[in-house]
Amino acid sequence: MTALMTTLEAPATPKLKRRTFGELLTTDLRALPVLVGLAFLWIFFTYQSEVFLTARNLSNLLLQSTVVGIMALGLMFVLLVKEIDLSLAAINGVTAVLMAKLIVEFGFSPWLAIPLSILLGAAIASFSARWVSFVGVPSFVVTLGLGLALNGIQLLLLPPTARYGLMGTGIEHIAQTYITGLWSWTLVTIGIALYALLIFSNMHRRRQLGLPVALLTSAIMPLLGAALLGAICVSIFNQHNGIPLPVLIFVVLLGLGGYLLKETQFGLSLYAIGNNDEAARRAGIKVPVIRMYAFAIAGGVAAIAGIISASRTLGVGVFSGGGVGGGTLLLESIAAAVIGGVSLFGGRGAIYAALLGALVIGTVQNGLNLMGVENEIRLIVTGVLLIVAVSIDKLIEKFTGQKSF
Amino acid sequence: MDMASNNLDTRTPLISMRNIRKSFGSLHALQGASIEVYPGEIVALVGDNGAGKSTLVKVMAGVHSFDSGDYEIEGKPANIKTPSDANERGIATVYQDLALCNNLDAVQNLFLGRELTGSSWFGKRINRAACEVRAREVLTKMRLGNLSLTRPVGAMSGGQRQNIAIARSILWQPKIVILDEPTAALSHSAAEQVSSLIRSLADQGLGIVVVSHDIHHFVVNATDRIEVMRLGANVASLKSMEVTGEMVVNAMVGGNESVNLAG
Ligand SMILES: Nc1ncnc2c1ncn2[C@@H]1O[C@H](COP(=O)(O)OP(=O)(O)OP(=O)(O)O)[C@@H](O)[C@H]1O
Ligand SMILES: [Mg+2]
Repeated sequence: MTALMTTLEAPATPKLKRRTFGELLTTDLRALPVLVGLAFLWIFFTYQSEVFLTARNLSNLLLQSTVVGIMALGLMFVLLVKEIDLSLAAINGVTAVLMAKLIVEFGFSPWLAIPLSILLGAAIASFSARWVSFVGVPSFVVTLGLGLALNGIQLLLLPPTARYGLMGTGIEHIAQTYITGLWSWTLVTIGIALYALLIFSNMHRRRQLGLPVALLTSAIMPLLGAALLGAICVSIFNQHNGIPLPVLIFVVLLGLGGYLLKETQFGLSLYAIGNNDEAARRAGIKVPVIRMYAFAIAGGVAAIAGIISASRTLGVGVFSGGGVGGGTLLLESIAAAVIGGVSLFGGRGAIYAALLGALVIGTVQNGLNLMGVENEIRLIVTGVLLIVAVSIDKLIEKFTGQKSF
Repeated sequence: MDMASNNLDTRTPLISMRNIRKSFGSLHALQGASIEVYPGEIVALVGDNGAGKSTLVKVMAGVHSFDSGDYEIEGKPANIKTPSDANERGIATVYQDLALCNNLDAVQNLFLGRELTGSSWFGKRINRAACEVRAREVLTKMRLGNLSLTRPVGAMSGGQRQNIAIARSILWQPKIVILDEPTAALSHSAAEQVSSLIRSLADQGLGIVVVSHDIHHFVVNATDRIEVMRLGANVASLKSMEVTGEMVVNAMVGGNESVNLAG
């Protein structure tokens, strides 16, 4: 019996060897290349412009990145299930215009108009998902068509002046609210505490069941990292005006999204469907339902981004939602998600992708602006960065022989 | 052994499918296929490529609906519409394509769709620790204690992936396990290991259905009964003890029968 056991187990032993750096790059350290790239960009722009590293500019940079970041965050849910929603920018625009119309023309309170437009965004996107599931048309076609239609509706909703001003409606407060002093530190503390609660509850479960616990790598390092990052960000913000409310909204969405993706059954089904939807179906996952929720989240989140944009520009118009066709808003949202490490082929990408991708795009925009470079160059650089990011990913796979999942 | 199989027929079969028909458009994949499985029995399902074996087991597992015929589980109408229905009735399946998600690790694959979760107030948070313990238990029982629980299964070998798929099927203590080509991609020793694993499951009273092309080794040596399919219907039912590989192959390609029909 013992002889049998050893012969059976002998071949399996070498596989337990420590993971190589290459394997780590395709799994736990997947964010490393983007982080290195981002650091590069920051160093470069610091040399190019004295203003870049000032608290004021960094606050601006983060604020500029939020709309694309939030859009990318929503889009990620759809990309994870191997679909795409090209109507998200149009949803962003049409829901913002509708919200403005409700407030300006019909006298709705923002407290009612905002949730209504978020719900509408979710409803529109989940409609695409149902269409995709039941008719079987690819999502990029359905959402491309829907996006154009929504662009048209957006124009119809606008008044003859082609613009609704939102000054004095209360919506402007979203972009103009900053959280400072004690409040800002309280918020960071709450955020870290929630994160710690999650980590310790997972550790507690493992302890109870007698499983090994890696205290340093799974608790101390992430918590210290988060605390450090939070503290640095808040002190930078506080040197300027404080934490901008849009940034706070983005961070809260990142937290919620991260929890959904990493901890819940719903999140896991997204990854499963994206990789092998037939396997997911056979495992009893209700694929069309999960897919619909993924789209609904993307739509609702796009509406949130639209409201923030409207607040920052103090109004809505033809330009809302990136203008007709989604313009750079749509392209940059997709680019941000992909640069951050989300796969267009489903089943791959962590929540930080939305943040990192948006930061890369925001940094390029902000830095080149400071250098006095024209908009044209910015587009070229962003496009090249997208290609570089995806290529680095492929090259890592090629040279390490490890496929990323 | 022989005594046991003689007594089998007096018991209620775990599964009984009679005269099952199933078309994909104009293609008649099943044209009156039947199969019965008793507790503790390993039934091999053999036939040429395209004979309808996979289709039959997919109907059994609720992946495909069927057009007509009777499907009973333990004497009662099965009424299985989805794979989850089949799971709930105690039918577990290891598919030919394994149906694994390459981007997920072993634990996530084992529990896919049936994760141990907390309350829906917290969005059905997965209890990873509990899943890991159960997974380790089952894998250790299969002598796979060394398998990594955290690597994506896409990075694993064919044999390891096969084992994970089998482990998944027995995780929820099913009454019936269906295996579609479990030994096809495996080395000789890994295939032997799968055979003994399957036998130990049958010895615990499970009913096993195995689709296999490995007639000469696996089918005649490791199963109890052989159902031969051709063109979507059964053409022979043989006792594994009493036949040789050649006899089974003849039944598959229709050598004997055409002689009989001609004569
Ligand atoms: N989903 C499907 N849609 C259309 N036709 C199908 C489908 N699944 C199977 N078929 C067809 O049904 C017939 C039976 O296929 P099935 O997969 O059951 O054969 P099999 O006996 O498992 O063959 P193999 O030994 O090659 O696995 C084949 O002609 C196949 O092309
Ligand atoms: Mg088959």
